[in-house]
This record gives sequence, C-alpha cells and structure tokens, in this order.
Amino acid sequence: MSAELALHHRVSQFLFREARLLDERRFEEWNALYLDDGEYWAPATPGQTDPFNHVSLIYENQLLRKVRIARFSSPVAYSLQPFPRTAHLVSNVMIDRHDPATGDIKVNSRFLMIEYRRDEQRFYGGAYEHDLVEKDGALRIRRKKADLVNCEGPLQSSRVYF
Amino acid sequence: MAALVETKPRAIDIGALVEPDRVHRSLYTDPAIFDLEMQRIWGRAWIFIGHESQVAEPGQYYSTMIGRQSVLLTRDADRRVHVLFNRCAHKGAQLVGDRCGKAKELRCAYHGWRFDLDGGLLGIPLEQGYDGTRFDRTSPEANLAPVPRVASYRGFVFASLSADGPDLQNWLGGVASSIDNMVDRAPEHELEIAGGVMRYEHDCNWKFFIENLNDMMHPMVVHQSSSLTARLIAKKELDPAAPTPAAIEIISPFTESYAFFDEMGLHCFDNGHSYSGGKTSIHAKYSDIPEYNALMEKAYGKERFAEIMSVNRHNTVFYPSATIKGAIQTMRVVKPVAVDRTVIESWTFRLKGAPEELLRRSILYCNLINSSANLVGPDDQESYRRQQVGLETQGLDWIAMHRDFGRDEDLGGGHTYAKGSSDLSFRNQWRAWKRYMIEGAR
Ligand SMILES: [Fe+2]
Repeated sequence: MSAELALHHRVSQFLFREARLLDERRFEEWNALYLDDGEYWAPATPGQTDPFNHVSLIYENQLLRKVRIARFSSPVAYSLQPFPRTAHLVSNVMIDRHDPATGDIKVNSRFLMIEYRRDEQRFYGGAYEHDLVEKDGALRIRRKKADLVNCEGPLQSSRVYF
Repeated sequence: MAALVETKPRAIDIGALVEPDRVHRSLYTDPAIFDLEMQRIWGRAWIFIGHESQVAEPGQYYSTMIGRQSVLLTRDADRRVHVLFNRCAHKGAQLVGDRCGKAKELRCAYHGWRFDLDGGLLGIPLEQGYDGTRFDRTSPEANLAPVPRVASYRGFVFASLSADGPDLQNWLGGVASSIDNMVDRAPEHELEIAGGVMRYEHDCNWKFFIENLNDMMHPMVVHQSSSLTARLIAKKELDPAAPTPAAIEIISPFTESYAFFDEMGLHCFDNGHSYSGGKTSIHAKYSDIPEYNALMEKAYGKERFAEIMSVNRHNTVFYPSATIKGAIQTMRVVKPVAVDRTVIESWTFRLKGAPEELLRRSILYCNLINSSANLVGPDDQESYRRQQVGLETQGLDWIAMHRDFGRDEDLGGGHTYAKGSSDLSFRNQWRAWKRYMIEGAR
C-alpha cells in the first residue's frame, strides 16, 4: 500500500508542478517535462481516438511547442497583448495503469483552467490523460491529452495550453 | 392613449452609407443594420447548407442555420436531398434538436407528429380528432415546409429563403470554377466531408471575417509572430538537408513578401464573390505526394493532371456564407449570430481515391490555421475584435477602401482583376451588399 501511495503522491505532485509551470509562464521548463517525441493533444471531439484523421484544437510535437512558446515572447503577437493569466486546477487524480518494468504510467485526472484576459474571465474544464514514463528516477511526459467538456465548441480564441 | 415607449422604426438611408471606395462604420456595429442583413442578404442570397456527403445515406439529416432560420438537410428513401425548415408543422417546436443523425422518420418531441425525411406528414396521434375540421391532412401545410429554393453544385448544397433570384450556377458565376478545381483534384472526381468540424466563436461582426479572406495586406503583419517564429525555430532546430515538415510548409508562407501577395492577384465577380491566387498561392509550394500524383495521372492523363494542378488558389469567397481552399481542401462556413457575434465552422474534405495523406494534410492545415486554440486564427480574430471595438468608437465615420481604386482590370462578364494588395475585393463585396440591401427593401 505504501508503495502505491508513494507513487500516487509522486504522480500528483508531478501533475501539480506541470500545471504550476504553465500558470507561472515557465514554458521552457514546462516543455522540458516532455520526452523529445512527447505530444500535447487537445481533441476537437469527444472520444476522438486519433489526431490524424480528425481535426484537433491543438496537436503539437516538440517543434510546434517550441514555435508556440517562442511566439509567446514576440512583441508583435497582438492576440497575446495583454497576455492571458491562468490558474490550472488539477484534481481527481487516478493512476489507471502502472508498468514497473517499462516505467509507463497512465494517469487520469480532471482539470479546470481559469483564464483572464482584457476584462474577461473564462473557464475551460475537462479531463486530462497523462501518459508518463519514469526514466532514471524522473517522470517525463510521453503524451498529455486535454479533453475539454466543450471541445466541439463553439469555442472562443484561446492561446495557451489547457 | 400614448404608448409607454414609442417604437417607430428608424429609417436608415442605406445608399448613403456605402460609397464605391468607402463605407460607414455603423454598418459593422448597428444592430438594426444586422437585422436588415438577415432579411435582405441572408434571406435572399444562396446560402451554403452542407455537402451532400454529410447526408450520404437515406435517413441521414444535418441541422444548420440560414441566418436566424433553423433548417435541416436531409436525404429521403429515394436518395433525394431536401432542405426543410426545422420546425414541426403542428405547434412549431424545433423538430431536430441534435446536429446530425440518421432516422427512419422524424418525430416531434412535443406531440409526436411524425414526418418523412422528405418532409411529408406520416402520422398524428389520435388523428380522428381532426375529422371534419378545417385541418387538411393532404395540404402542403401539414408537411414540413421546404426552404423555397435548393440547388446543388457538384455536391455543394446551397439554399435560398427567397423564391426568386438567379439560379445557383449563374449566381456563382466565376467562382464555380474553384469548386470544379477542388473536385477535379479527386482521382475519383468526388469529394467527401471527413475529419470532423471545428466551431470557432468570433466576438465580432460576420463581415470582418468574410472581408479578411482576400485581404492580402494583412498576413505579413497579423501572422508575423507565428509565421516568422516558425521559420526561425525551423531554421534553428531542423537539419536543412532533411525534408521540411508539413507544418512548417503550411505556416511559413503567411509571411511571404508584399510582392508575393501582389503576384497572387485578386479575381472578383458579381454578387460579392472573389478568389485570390490562381497561378500561385500560399499553398503552391507544398511537397509533392508521389503516390497521389501517380493516381491522378492514371485518372486524368498527364496533360489534364498538370492543368488541374496549375490552378492554385488561396481563398474563394461565396459571398456571404462560405469560403473554400481548393488547393488544401478545406472550407469555412459563416454563421452570423448577432451584430457582434459570429460562428465560423471549419470543415475538411477527402479527395475520393486519393491517399489518406492528403486528408491528413488538410486536417493539419485546419489545426494549425483555423483552430480557436492555435497561433494563426486567434491573431486574425484579435484584429476583427479590435475593429469591432474601434468602429464603435467615434472620431472618424468612414472606412477607406481606396487602395488601387480605379485601377481594376475589367475582364468582362462582371469579372474584374487587380493585384493582390488592391482593396478590390472589399469594394466588390460592398457593391453586392448595397445591391442586396437596396433591392431587398422593395
Ligand atoms: Fe489572416
């Protein structure tokens, strides 16, 4: 039991840290949590099984994350002026699968992102699915999937990671 | 006795608000103008409804809007396509509540009246109660009302709330060829909607979106932060000898030079339609997909294939309701909600008989450019929003559309041409807008 609890604690702390890095705009550190071939995915329809044969709100590899993050500091990124302020809340953390041999951990949780920009506050919420892998004692992200409850929209502009 | 609030309709002199080279700011901000547009433009023009492949099988239906009118696209048992008002013939309850589906019959959620997919009344509970009354079961009024005019051009279904007006093909005029080119790009000469839909809410007037499509002076400014950054990151991160990732091929051209966009050119037609590009566009430099080329050559022969691919257009606008990109097989549909609220839907097409890689590229394009959560769309939207707020602000009443005014090339038959940076497409849209609004008053 204690090993299970310890794992749950470690995984939860990892998810909270990931959310915190987003809120504190430490995007390079956030991106470093991903494996080199790690993916960020926000599907555009509930139950979407793949990012290739159906449109997605966001589907980014390392290269595209670097583009988005570099754009965050562009002086001519007008839709980021002012830059949105966020608070990501992560809860209901459950470990769905853990393979100690490979280090693979599948985590399901719920999230709420509160976003404020230019006089307006918005809410985005749904489920996270983290495919993590434990390597040399550290957790890394193979894939993070953010399933918004209202992913089919209509959605207004959003610029940061859910 | 005097009413508490006097509600006298405000007279708007439409003609005085649109000049050939400038328009009044209130046309984007006045709710009364929006109401008139819903009647006189969206109530009269051919409005895009959907693609026939969305109701490929008998019994399928798809619900959408023509302006403020809730309508259904259906396919009946005889495979015929219909566009019907989405309201029960009985007490008017909206008949279909979901977006799409398949059913043997449509049953009203209120009193259980049942209708065929062609709109015909099938049954009424306790029907004998109507015996000997003025209600006539065989009258057309007992059925779901059809939208006055429906027509399809190569699978693209349009409908008009007005019983008269030009037929669809005449109305499309020179932009029908953009549909042709997209369909011709399918080895089996047919398209199919695939890959889902993205629905993006814009907090602005619908005309900002439709005008921006062929605004060739904006990409290098609005999309500088994403496109230039993508170029820089690609240069820094990628092996120059390796093939360029499709995502980079898609984002990079948004910061092509003014000269490049000028070269693309603008073609405008009656009824507000236009396309930019032709011989070249921002889609012209995508990597070849050899398997596709081979299939196309087999289907069309070398010469015809080369001819089809030599047409490379950017945005084609079917004013006021839709726009396609034939070269990357995407479509966006305009749904005005209020004077400052518009929903834009993004669709992708499968070219029948083509390798799946093409659909995947269309999907990638949509994700990167049209998504509400990505880099390109939100920057466009920010511009529209700033216009919405800016034009509600007094100071100057007129919006300039003077660039290259009087320097258009008349190609005959309502076809005009100008270099890409010209304001021609705005002037052309407003010319149609004014005609709809003035003629619609009669
Ligand atoms: Fe744009």
